[in-house]
Amino acid sequence: MSGVWLVFLYALLTAIATGLGALPFAFVRTISGRFVAYAHAVAAGLMLGASFGLVSEGTDYGRGETLVGGLLGVVFILATQRFLGAQDEEKLVFEATRGEGARKMLLILIVMTVHSFSEGIAVGVSFGGGMTLAAVITIAIAIHNIPEGVAITAVLKPEGVSLPRCAAWSIFSSLPQPLMAVPAFLFVETFRAALPYGLGFAAGAMVFMVLVELLPEAYHQGKRAQVATLAAASAIGMVLFQQWL
Amino acid sequence: MTTLEPLATVLLFSALASLTAVLGAVPQALRGTPSHAMIGWANALASGLMLGVAYTLLTEGLQNVLAAGGVGALLGIGFVRGTHSLTGTGELDLAELDKAGPEYGYKAILVDTLHAAHEGVAIGVAMAVSLPLGIAMALTLAIHNIPEAMVLNTLLTERGLRLPQSAALATAVNLNQVLLAVLSFAVIGLWPVLLPWVTGFTVGALVYLTLVELLPESYRQTGKTSIAVVTLVAMGVVVLLAGVAG
Repeated sequence: MSGVWLVFLYALLTAIATGLGALPFAFVRTISGRFVAYAHAVAAGLMLGASFGLVSEGTDYGRGETLVGGLLGVVFILATQRFLGAQDEEKLVFEATRGEGARKMLLILIVMTVHSFSEGIAVGVSFGGGMTLAAVITIAIAIHNIPEGVAITAVLKPEGVSLPRCAAWSIFSSLPQPLMAVPAFLFVETFRAALPYGLGFAAGAMVFMVLVELLPEAYHQGKRAQVATLAAASAIGMVLFQQWL
Repeated sequence: MTTLEPLATVLLFSALASLTAVLGAVPQALRGTPSHAMIGWANALASGLMLGVAYTLLTEGLQNVLAAGGVGALLGIGFVRGTHSLTGTGELDLAELDKAGPEYGYKAILVDTLHAAHEGVAIGVAMAVSLPLGIAMALTLAIHNIPEAMVLNTLLTERGLRLPQSAALATAVNLNQVLLAVLSFAVIGLWPVLLPWVTGFTVGALVYLTLVELLPESYRQTGKTSIAVVTLVAMGVVVLLAGVAG
């Protein structure tokens, strides 16, 4: 099989792994206000930790570029929020939910899907360095994607979305990975230059989403000490986990 | 710098970091009692700086010592939670301007003192990792302590304290930072094997403190979008600068 197909296949596998993030929620029977708060806290922590990883990787390629990318990421979320906020409450429907819930679900899906573009580029560029480590990189990124599925499911499930659909949306959010990995692999030098902007963009968008949506929601319904414990532990755990991979 | 003993350097910079709290009185002296939005942004600024500090410690200090760092972080989270619940400051809202009673003032001072102690450890740890990182950490916390003192000043003057008194108090609660910075630096110097554990502990404590005190308080004061922007920009600046220093 040619290198291009291998890269696509490996990146597709990592995308599918994101769906595994829905699994832990199979054990949740009832969804209380507390549960919603703590699910949001975990999602916030995982996304915060993931963006620490993105920034750390981005700054290896270029410090100023990562910062510029980050600011663009914030502007992007503000614009998306404004766009979604301007939609008619009745017309804004997602997975049979209207209004505020639909807006939040769409926002996290947009953020996570857009961030996958940068991750796909990172995958392609790292494969460009040689295919010897391909299997290791694939497994590492596949495992790394699972918490992202957890974060998405943590927001979708409380809104009444079924588990298989949560898994499907999680996989959907990672589909840009195989799509971007191939061109990045073919044109490594071009994409390497764009990488720090992309990683910064993804990190800025994710941290902003955490600060403007997930944490306020978590504090709203949960106890502060619990929210802080869950979010802090998930964030630090995610960073250490990624460094270990 | 090279002529200074390492411990003296830690002493000097941690003292600087704690004394800047005096500057927290300046906005109020010039413009009167800050608005709710100002308090919110001050807390958001402090949050962003703190998260930037945590990022720096995580990426610079824990590269090959993940297990010790992880266990240390859990201990740090647990420790702060424990001290908060023991002192009855768990769900304390530090910007509750309308609530009266001496108990509230006592708790506010206590919670800020506990908070400052962990920042002292952060300076000691960062100095142990490298001198530039330590200086960057001390300077970041020096800035961080200004909005923090501003919030405490507002709270204490609303309860009848004069501004010079509250400014002195807001600075005094930070002084244990110096002690803990020197102590943790010295302890790590004696037993270097402790470094990843203490680094992890500090990161856990700082992230927890940000999430349990600073951020929830700032959301109560003003709109979440402006809070998010202020926090993120502060964080971005620290990440950028710390990378240059480390």
